Amino acid sequence: MTMNAVIPTDVSVAEQAPFRPNRVPVGSADYNQIAEFLYEEAWLLDEIRLKEWVARLDNDLRYTCPVRQTRSLAQQAQSIVRTVMHFDETYASIRGRVGRITDTKSAWAEDPPSRTRRLITNILVESTDDPDEFEVKSYLLCSRSRFEETTLLMLSCVRHDLLRRYDDGIKLARREIIIDQTVLGFPNLAIFL
Amino acid sequence: MLDRTRTTLSDGTTIDDLINVETREVQLRAISDPELYDIEMRKVFGKTWLLLGHESEIPNSGDFITRLMGSDPVLITRQKDGTVKVMLNVCPHRGMRVCVNDAGNAKVHTCIYHGWAFKNDGDFIGAPVAAEQMHGSILPKEKLGLTQARVHLYGGLIFGTWNLQGPSFDEFLGEMKWYYDMLFCRTDRGLEVLGPPQRFTIKANWKTACEQSASDGFHTLTLHRWLGEFAKFGDGDLTTSMYGTEVSSLQGHSLRCMPVANKFKQAAGFRDGNLTLAEKLAIVPPPGITKEMLPELVRNLSPEQLGLLVDSPPQVGGMFPNVLIAFIYVPQPDGEIIGLTSLHTYIPKGPDELEFCNYILAEKDAPEEHKQKALQFAVRMLGTSGMVEQDDSDTWPHITQTAKGAAARNVTMKYQAVCTTPPRPDWPGPALVYEGFTKDDTQWNWWLAYRDLMNAPA
Repeated sequence: MTMNAVIPTDVSVAEQAPFRPNRVPVGSADYNQIAEFLYEEAWLLDEIRLKEWVARLDNDLRYTCPVRQTRSLAQQAQSIVRTVMHFDETYASIRGRVGRITDTKSAWAEDPPSRTRRLITNILVESTDDPDEFEVKSYLLCSRSRFEETTLLMLSCVRHDLLRRYDDGIKLARREIIIDQTVLGFPNLAIFL
Repeated sequence: MLDRTRTTLSDGTTIDDLINVETREVQLRAISDPELYDIEMRKVFGKTWLLLGHESEIPNSGDFITRLMGSDPVLITRQKDGTVKVMLNVCPHRGMRVCVNDAGNAKVHTCIYHGWAFKNDGDFIGAPVAAEQMHGSILPKEKLGLTQARVHLYGGLIFGTWNLQGPSFDEFLGEMKWYYDMLFCRTDRGLEVLGPPQRFTIKANWKTACEQSASDGFHTLTLHRWLGEFAKFGDGDLTTSMYGTEVSSLQGHSLRCMPVANKFKQAAGFRDGNLTLAEKLAIVPPPGITKEMLPELVRNLSPEQLGLLVDSPPQVGGMFPNVLIAFIYVPQPDGEIIGLTSLHTYIPKGPDELEFCNYILAEKDAPEEHKQKALQFAVRMLGTSGMVEQDDSDTWPHITQTAKGAAARNVTMKYQAVCTTPPRPDWPGPALVYEGFTKDDTQWNWWLAYRDLMNAPA
């Protein structure tokens, strides 16, 4: 089953996808605007300001997180599984997930909430044919602490985003989250990445 | 009768001290005691049939997957003749894991340590530099293959056991097979996985998840209360969904059959007895089934099974020791009712950790669009990010930790809510039947099955 033709496909080591020629230089005005968007997004999620986060998602959002498998080097493309995924979301389903947390009294998975820290680095931006759409890679290291556990739970990933610029700011239109673990060290994904 | 072989921990505590049959209590100590864990690996996971995957994961000759059978890594392969083999993924030379990938296709599996090579049925082929006969001359090649598990395919599900002489798979299922057949053997071509399983870890003992899977309906009312609070699903009061019929056996298996008429307004007419099966299927089909599949259901099930499947389908439950079964409904705001199918195995990873392995399945004969929807909603409701199951993932670690306290270890888990409603006279199925509000009986039967195995001779 193939599901997601719209998801950026330049995620495979095996395909040796070349770096695109249309790099938006680090430090340029466009780059800075995108970096700021990603930093603010991390801040909103860490502060559990979920409705403000949803306001930065575009209506045609696809938000997915494939399952990973250990495969031989020659079969790295198959290490990313886009049939059964950990997240398989649209704008409406993300709103449903957020509504569960904000509009009910019993979303126990995050009540009391985890203390999270989303560290965003290695941002690479590519321009596209549309001057207001950018393909953006970023690394995310997410630490998570619940209750009195002293060992932080950790999750690392690369995110392949499509960001769209409007007059009033940037919105997230696509996100594919490529996690580095085949067996997640988190007990759930009740938080967003 | 079992006194002589009765399992005793080093401080003299017996299994029967931990599980009090008279009062239906289990000491919390039983949850995460390391000594008990070692015994469980041998007496439970070394003895029972274990769910390892589905044959649709390895459709072609040479396909393989690797899984865990208790704490043992196993290699599962599709043979040229179409059969499935399950073998210990441990090299008989130095103990290295022979196959290190999660999945793939290979005629030969060669250990990367010293190059001992095995056919995909586990037979030893040889070691490098044949002239030097590096496997020695003490043991013949026939003795150097990978250790074989006993295998049974049921509805395409792959089960394995190390207990070569033990009960057959049908004996293991016992009377509950009648109900499981309604889920796993109801269509001509059966179920298929929609992809490899989701896998993640929870810092909890495997038993916390598994005794809940033995049809604990009651926890839904509180732990999953958001389902009633959330307007989008609009169930309102969840109490009505606590009523139904639970079926169970002393092998520790169980299912909750929940009347469709209790759940959906449009199915209120199911109670009258005036609707045909086809009419009922058109209103609310059992989860995972479309109305076009009716002829298949008629072919594969008895009239009694079919009637129950349509009126009061088994929706959640477990299979001893570590399987959760979910064939559930997800009603949509627009009135559409999506059915989704998922199986979990809770794999023990030490006294204080389990791996949650989530398979999402669909009927092979379901339309592609139906499968896609079922898959998306399964991901959204169950497993890693599932809005229902994410609420389970704090409870089990807390219990695992509290069980270690000097005082708390003597607290008992109580299974004293006993069903007193007699079974309906017209109930069509076998096994132990508990009518009415969800009570503790099925979970207690899980502990009795656990106790039997733990007290059995090694």
